[in-house]
Amino acid sequence: MLITELLHSHLLSSVVAVTGTIVLFQFVAVLQRKLNAIWLQPMLMSILVLMALLLWQDINFDRYFSNSWLLNALLEPAVVALGFPLYQHLETITKQWKNIVLTLLIGALIAIISSFIITMLIIGDYTIAVALSLKSITTPIAIAIAGQLDGNTAITAFTIILAGFFGALVGPRWLTYIKVKSPKAQGLAIGAASHAIGTATVSNISYEHAAYSSLALIVSAVITAITSPFIITFLASLW
Amino acid sequence: MKTFNKKVFNVTYSVFAICSCLAFGKLCSYFAPLLPSSLYGLITFTLTLHFRLFDADKIKSTVVWCIKHMAVCFVPAGVGIVNHLELVRQFGLAIVSITFVTTFILLTLVGLIYQRYAVSEE
Repeated sequence: MLITELLHSHLLSSVVAVTGTIVLFQFVAVLQRKLNAIWLQPMLMSILVLMALLLWQDINFDRYFSNSWLLNALLEPAVVALGFPLYQHLETITKQWKNIVLTLLIGALIAIISSFIITMLIIGDYTIAVALSLKSITTPIAIAIAGQLDGNTAITAFTIILAGFFGALVGPRWLTYIKVKSPKAQGLAIGAASHAIGTATVSNISYEHAAYSSLALIVSAVITAITSPFIITFLASLW
Repeated sequence: MKTFNKKVFNVTYSVFAICSCLAFGKLCSYFAPLLPSSLYGLITFTLTLHFRLFDADKIKSTVVWCIKHMAVCFVPAGVGIVNHLELVRQFGLAIVSITFVTTFILLTLVGLIYQRYAVSEE
């Protein structure tokens, strides 16, 4: 297979993996603009095409992932860059910090409790219930807490990606539909429910979305890290 | 040529600002592992701009470009779903459905509460 042979050379395979991913992403983005098709979401479509390609060509995911190291390395600086919209809205945010923290606290508690109870009722497996309770926060924290609480870390990683895409794809339209039109409320909701993936997507809508979503990403992660071990242990003792 | 040099300087300046904040974030994460280094870096970047340790005007254009294109960085991690296909087969649609429903609840709740009580207050 041509693609498999190309991947044998490490440097070449890195160039192919990174360039291929960027070209594919930009191609879908241009196509989405030209066709004005919402469902052609560049991130989701690129992932689906690459997944199909890996399965079709029998390429190991770890190989693709290590070859796309440049994009992975840029992930952390990209998240740091979100500090700029946050800085631009810092004054307004400082004035509303009580409302913001209270809203996100309620959101985090409901997310943990509802996910745990629904999973225990439907699947009845503690390790999966822990994994699903932590899916709304950023990956490194969620994986660490899932490990501490004997949750299934593979399912945690998987559901974090799912929650991210769900909020990123449906979030803004759904919120507009239920008359939540304020960029602040939309940003907070998407940051709280869909962490960095959602934040990356709504950052293209407006700077206000980006600022509030980044803030929700941080505050929700802190609240969940502090409260989830107590809540999950308490809920598990009831079962 | 002058404009080009200015652009190169601004890009270098922005990369330095972001990388130094990330480096500080890594240090914070090492000593206080409550948050990942990127989130500590995000907070540091916001504060350095607020206290004018870095010039926001020089950084703006580079950061706008970064934010516009950052979604592509999440693609390799997203392809990772391919590693969990067995899990999806094993537990069927239950996990996917619960994830969708609870994310939907959280989105709706946070959006409605903030819009009703905070945005209307302004």
